[in-house]
Amino acid sequence: MTSPSSSLPRPGGGVGVIADGGGAPVALLEAGESRRVAPPPSRITAPPPPGRGREANAIVDRLRAAILPTAFALALLLAWQALVVIFQYPKVVLPAPSDIWHALVANFGTICQQAVPTTRDTLAGFLLATVLGVGIASLLCFSRLLRDMVYPLVILLQLVPKIAWTPLFIVWAGIGSPARLTIATFIAFFPIFISMMAGLEATDSSLVRLSRSLTATTWRTFWLVRLPASMPYLFSGLKIGVTLAVIGVIVAEFISSSEGLGYLILKSSALLQTDLILAAIVALCLLGVGFYGIVHAGERAIQRWQGE
Amino acid sequence: MISAVIDRLASVETVSMAKDAGDYVVAERVRKIFNPGGRHEVEAVAPTSFTVKSGEFVSLLGPSGCGKSTLLMMVAGLDRPSEGTVAVAGRPMIAPRAENGIMFQDPTLLPWKSALENVLFPYRAMNKPVAPHIDRAKALLDEVGLAGFHNHKPRQLSGGMRQRVAICRALVFEPDLLLMDEPFSALDAITRDEMNLALMKIWEEHHRTALFVTHSIREAVYLSDRVLVMSQRPGRVIADVKIPFARPRGLEIEESAAFNEICGYLRSKIQHRPV
Ligand SMILES: Nc1ncnc2c1ncn2[C@@H]1O[C@H](COP(=O)(O)OP(=O)(O)O)[C@@H](O)[C@H]1O
Ligand SMILES: [Mg+2]
Repeated sequence: MTSPSSSLPRPGGGVGVIADGGGAPVALLEAGESRRVAPPPSRITAPPPPGRGREANAIVDRLRAAILPTAFALALLLAWQALVVIFQYPKVVLPAPSDIWHALVANFGTICQQAVPTTRDTLAGFLLATVLGVGIASLLCFSRLLRDMVYPLVILLQLVPKIAWTPLFIVWAGIGSPARLTIATFIAFFPIFISMMAGLEATDSSLVRLSRSLTATTWRTFWLVRLPASMPYLFSGLKIGVTLAVIGVIVAEFISSSEGLGYLILKSSALLQTDLILAAIVALCLLGVGFYGIVHAGERAIQRWQGE
Repeated sequence: MISAVIDRLASVETVSMAKDAGDYVVAERVRKIFNPGGRHEVEAVAPTSFTVKSGEFVSLLGPSGCGKSTLLMMVAGLDRPSEGTVAVAGRPMIAPRAENGIMFQDPTLLPWKSALENVLFPYRAMNKPVAPHIDRAKALLDEVGLAGFHNHKPRQLSGGMRQRVAICRALVFEPDLLLMDEPFSALDAITRDEMNLALMKIWEEHHRTALFVTHSIREAVYLSDRVLVMSQRPGRVIADVKIPFARPRGLEIEESAAFNEICGYLRSKIQHRPV
């Protein structure tokens, strides 16, 4: 015998009694069970305000989101311009927005030329940091031993202000583009690695178990479940990483370089060309927006690819 | 009658061998202790034995925390017993086996994939081509009433619909053994009845061997050919009850006196924790 077996009470004598005695508790038990109900995932939307369609509402919302910050920025620029005109600040101390615009137009060629190495080093450093961050995090995901060995050290290293290493990298890699790229990589690596790691470790364990039950290999489970599940984490890390990469490159250009927007800013400050400094910063702002846009586009592309 | 007794006697004598040609799942004195020797040592399953015959629908019924999931995970090869053995189709379960279809309490769908892609997931997991099976996956989804929802993402589906997708995913590669761990316990009572009907219909058509874990007496009786009652933790099988209703079964059998009688009997077998 493998299991204690018992036959049912024979229908007949006991039926009425058992049915009567059993009916009510069954109902009670079932009611108790059905109380563990998950609420249906329907979203309750607020009714549209009277007199306005939902669609018109959405357009107004979008316009609002675009117009409000633009109007505020314009107001700030106007106030700045007015301040300079009224108090007659010297251009060296505080150039007006119009002066910055003129500097931007007059030095457009130089600014573009100097933006090239900055962009190149930033993107190369960021790319390298992404490859390293994703690669090492994935590697650690495959080996518990390696993870327990490496991860705490990386977290510890992350606590050191990375910018402080810059002069050391310049000593090691010279004053050329490789040093700047290395610094950008080093700074951008940490948020990318740590968020990728968090994403891989936060993967729903029941999905992993399901995959395992279907005899998927560790690699297959990684590719089909862990990697896609960690993408939202990765991209939040990439967004931080790309801004840090720019900072790294600019700081390196400050310290020792003969090209790049950081170099242009430093040189302009030596020549007291404050308007050119600000023009270069405007260019940096635009670059930053561009980098962020690239990461965002990458995120959308991955989402679309994952969905199909 | 006599032959049945002889049958049983015979099986007692040959307990360590495959007992019956029809026995598909054979669990022998399986025991599970979590964190053995540690501070948090828990005996989840006490040494217990049971069998499931080929083509049979068997439920494991027991109070919460009695070790049902643990026992099922050992049958699935996702967890190793501390003692004893589990064999499926004559082979010891030492790793998951490709012919098992599994359903968990949660639908466990990939949130970024469509319903159809989720149903096809087993082929991707096994690294097999997907294209030849798309039609079958679509037909299964249609069969469980998800005809217009092939390309919907899980978040666009209700709880019941998601669990239907999970049923299709468990059946798409024609597994010979279906393992289900309280698949409907997170659903409301009405959806649960619907799901039981859907499962019954699809099981009667595809006719696989099934091991179904539940803590609902009525669900167990409605679905099963046989109900195994488990004791409080550490869980072991303490009763093995045949459910005699003919198939196909409609929900109306739940109103019958015999149904309630069986439920009452099973309830008397379940040990409740003293308050
Ligand atoms: N991985 C684990 N580690 C330690 N204890 C566990 C683990 N899994 C389950 N248990 C314990 O084993 C017992 C049985 O759990 P489970 O099989 O999930 O019960 P059921 O499915 O019947 O509700 C519970 O007391 C639970 O706390
Ligand atoms: Mg359970």
